[in-house]
Amino acid sequence: MIRDFLGKIGNTTGFLLSGTARLGALFADVVRYFAGVLVRPRTLPRETFAYQLTTMGLESVGIISLVGASVGAVLALQAAYSLKDFGALNYTGSLVCVAMARELGPLIAAIVICGRIGARIAAELGSMQVQEEVDALTTMAIHPVRFLVLPRVMALMIMLPCLTIIADWMGMVGGYLVGRFALGINPEVYIANSIRALVLKDIYTGLMKSEIFSILIALVSCHQGLSVSGGSDAVGKATTQAVVISIVLIIVVDCLATAVIYYAL
Amino acid sequence: MDSIIEVRDLVKKFDGRAVLNGVNVGIPRGKITVIMGGSGCGKSTFLRHLIGLHQPTSGDILFEGKNIAKMDRNGMDGVRRSFGMMFQGSALFNSMTVGENVAVPLREHTPLDESTIKIIVKIKLELVGLTGFEHFYPHQISGGMKKRVALARAIALDPKIVFYDEPGAGLDPITASMIDQLILDLSRKLNMTSVVVTHEMKSAFRIADQVIMLHKGKVLEVGSAQQIQNSSNAYVRQFIEGEPEGVIPFKQTSEAYLQGLLDS
Repeated sequence: MIRDFLGKIGNTTGFLLSGTARLGALFADVVRYFAGVLVRPRTLPRETFAYQLTTMGLESVGIISLVGASVGAVLALQAAYSLKDFGALNYTGSLVCVAMARELGPLIAAIVICGRIGARIAAELGSMQVQEEVDALTTMAIHPVRFLVLPRVMALMIMLPCLTIIADWMGMVGGYLVGRFALGINPEVYIANSIRALVLKDIYTGLMKSEIFSILIALVSCHQGLSVSGGSDAVGKATTQAVVISIVLIIVVDCLATAVIYYAL
Repeated sequence: MDSIIEVRDLVKKFDGRAVLNGVNVGIPRGKITVIMGGSGCGKSTFLRHLIGLHQPTSGDILFEGKNIAKMDRNGMDGVRRSFGMMFQGSALFNSMTVGENVAVPLREHTPLDESTIKIIVKIKLELVGLTGFEHFYPHQISGGMKKRVALARAIALDPKIVFYDEPGAGLDPITASMIDQLILDLSRKLNMTSVVVTHEMKSAFRIADQVIMLHKGKVLEVGSAQQIQNSSNAYVRQFIEGEPEGVIPFKQTSEAYLQGLLDS
């Protein structure tokens, strides 16, 4: 019984370490090819990069706006519930703005993109693996990391912070609408308090986190997709794992990053 | 005969089981070599070794004298520019048009400008009989057309050798024979070496200059199409004639099947 339990712990630890090592190796490859792109821009597959920018960014604006606004509205309602006891209802705007910029904007955008884009990347690369498209690249002397992974990582690194800004902004709008129409806060006071509370650091630390999340989502999803072997069931499994692993990593890394930012910056 | 590829004592084991068990054979330059054998005999694994997608457990694969079995990634990438490969399922990139698919190796490996690449793509598509199909997506064309596009992509860089994995699989007999004709035409016109993996007899004997018969991970027989057709080997005869009974019995127990695998 104890032996089984210890065995399971050992297996899980081994699995985590080997997974981390593989992700690290993939990241090292991406960095190497990125350096190559800086020296010779022609080595970036531009069509794929442009396509990924569009699908990851433009097509996600609607859902990010909706979720951001909803979270901002809920946050305003929940904050008001406690703040009114202290006669601080007018500070609802401050709380919503700071919480959206520092925490909820980056987190919500990352989780939505993880479900929408991470799953898509894993399924797409997994299917390419099953249909021998990845082998076809290899036989053409084209490295799959440069051709498939690099444009996706770069596109997500550009697009997730942009989407985070949209989520931040829409969350603030959602909070404002609730503050004004449901809580009856004076709009000028709401806006003035929000602007006073929000400092540049709140925004750039949020964007820094979002940049880290983008790398995590893209790497995990690409890794899961390229690790597919077998048939369509393996693609489904890889897709689920990409989303689950990415979300867990996002939350763990968010916790660590928030602690570092709180104490060090 | 001048061999472009020389395979020596090639062994590949998966989980201790030998799928290729000491393969020794040469691929003659400028000829069409057909690799035949039953399902699971190791022919696709053999092909994947020739193009460097698998590393052998032991043995050597010499391409123009260079041992590709022991090459690193960069060395292998250099050699692969002399290779073209047509996969069984075509392996076209679904997010790209037919023209973009054919253009991929040209964009990646040549300094040519877009207008020149477009002209080359047109020429390659013409060679496989698909004039004017540049703007179609893979899901908009038939299986036979996909194979032709895959062939156009494989010959985009004018390779020295083109590999075909089951070129006629999943195609009707007329389309399959058209693909065979294309293989013959391209090999003769462009003076390319071709290596074709198939288990379709008609196709094999139509195009082959040399036939390699694999069985249980070993080379059972090598010869011209005529020699293989006249072979006295019991397994080759059963394979050619497609008889359900013979050296390989119609009914097999799972134990016998596993034993057969272990024997290999």
